[in-house]
Amino acid sequence: MSDLGDALLAPLGQAFVVRALVAGTVLGATGALLGVFVVQRGLGLLSDGLAHATFGGIALGLLVGASPDRAILVALPFTVAIALGIQYVRRNTSLAGDVATGVFFAVSFAAGILLLGLRGPSSPPVNVEGLLFGSLLAVSPDGLVVILAVAALVASVLAAIGPRLAYATFDPELAELSGVKVAALEYVLLALTALVVVVGVKTVGVVLVSAFVVIPAATANLLGTRLPAIAATAVALGVLGTAFGLFASYHLNVATGATIILTLGAGFFLALVFRRR
Amino acid sequence: MTAAIRAEGASVVLGGHTVLRDVSFEVEHDEFACLVGPNGGGKTTFVRAAIGLVPTATGRIEVLGRSPEEARRRVGYVPQLKGFNRSFPARVVEVIAANRTGGWPLRLPAAEREAARAALARVGGERLLEARLAGLSGGELQRVFLARALVTGPKLLLLDEPTAGVDVRGRAEFLELLAGIAASHELAVVLVTHNAAAVRRLARRAIYVDGTVLAWGTPDDVLDREWERGGAFSGHDHASHSLCEDA
Repeated sequence: MSDLGDALLAPLGQAFVVRALVAGTVLGATGALLGVFVVQRGLGLLSDGLAHATFGGIALGLLVGASPDRAILVALPFTVAIALGIQYVRRNTSLAGDVATGVFFAVSFAAGILLLGLRGPSSPPVNVEGLLFGSLLAVSPDGLVVILAVAALVASVLAAIGPRLAYATFDPELAELSGVKVAALEYVLLALTALVVVVGVKTVGVVLVSAFVVIPAATANLLGTRLPAIAATAVALGVLGTAFGLFASYHLNVATGATIILTLGAGFFLALVFRRR
Repeated sequence: MTAAIRAEGASVVLGGHTVLRDVSFEVEHDEFACLVGPNGGGKTTFVRAAIGLVPTATGRIEVLGRSPEEARRRVGYVPQLKGFNRSFPARVVEVIAANRTGGWPLRLPAAEREAARAALARVGGERLLEARLAGLSGGELQRVFLARALVTGPKLLLLDEPTAGVDVRGRAEFLELLAGIAASHELAVVLVTHNAAAVRRLARRAIYVDGTVLAWGTPDDVLDREWERGGAFSGHDHASHSLCEDA
């Protein structure tokens, strides 16, 4: 391999970079796959709202004595519950989807701030900046296992329900008439999104995690005309954008999460320029 | 032979408001019937109840001898408002195949493609097979949704104002298609329409619905009574047999 190639790939000699690469690309792929359905349903703000709800879940975990690493185990069911709550309001009231998301997101985030303040004076300090902006390079071996487990679960469920979920995304009423359990599938989609968002918060933080779900899928939608091609493109963009952003941030010595999101964003704007009319 | 639709004292309540009350009528297994009446009279609600999308509060609706939910797979439905997601990357062949497979076809087996092609050919839309749904005109969309409804080989076809918003030529062509389907006597057809000419031309019976069934009989009987009542039909040529009036 050339000297340049060696230099570019040199970071892979360090275990924490390998963990970050695996965690990031797996999350990029999983988020992008889910994002195909989320974006098609016009729920782009949902993942952002769930990310903010995750903050409340992590704060609850910290309040009950979990370490910052283990707090995610409280945040997972907490955020899934918020996702199901949002879906319940969407289905059972006349409020539009973004309104329910806005309410739950604000309440959960506020609850998180309150819960952090309720911790005793002897509690270890919390790195709020780390929560908000994440740290992909700090993913622990345990954290990587959680990410891989969530990704495997999401991929398995999507493989099982993908065609029915796609039909319900095209037209829920016609899908229902063809025997698809539309309401149940929508709850599943939101629960899966919540899972990916929670584990994503550890890597790119509350503020940026929704980009993993929204940007690759939105870019692929600009480029593709068939669902399988759009899904494949979204996954490829999620993986390549994350890997490129990670290496670029390492060599430029800048924030990893932000570099990944900017890389994905650059792909979106390029697609906007070169899309098929 | 089992009736295609049998309504017995059916009432539907939506949001606390009784939309239909004590509706009773029957459509035979090979009959072409039209549901007519003013806007807001409950025609669409009846169709939605007949496919199990809204429940009956009292009485019952039997479709092909079963409950509406159980009969769904044997009923073809063409909705009034095309509520599909217009940003979804859908092709015509996929839309039609999805109704047979019950899921969006990520890969299309040859048998599904052929079934979709045959259904489109039946409605004169074979050239649309690979077209993207988003680029179709109102008339073309109607053909696609009719093909989608026919692809499962239904015994009952329910069409809810299918030509609303379609131009005059497309409307006439679509209603001629329905005339061909009616002539085959392979299935029962229930058409919701405001088009008096279509009712006279196509239907064996018309059912006038305005909250309940106010009249039920031959098209001439029902339409003449409706005409005296003030008219819920479009077009001033009430006796016209042209199919170009508003649906």
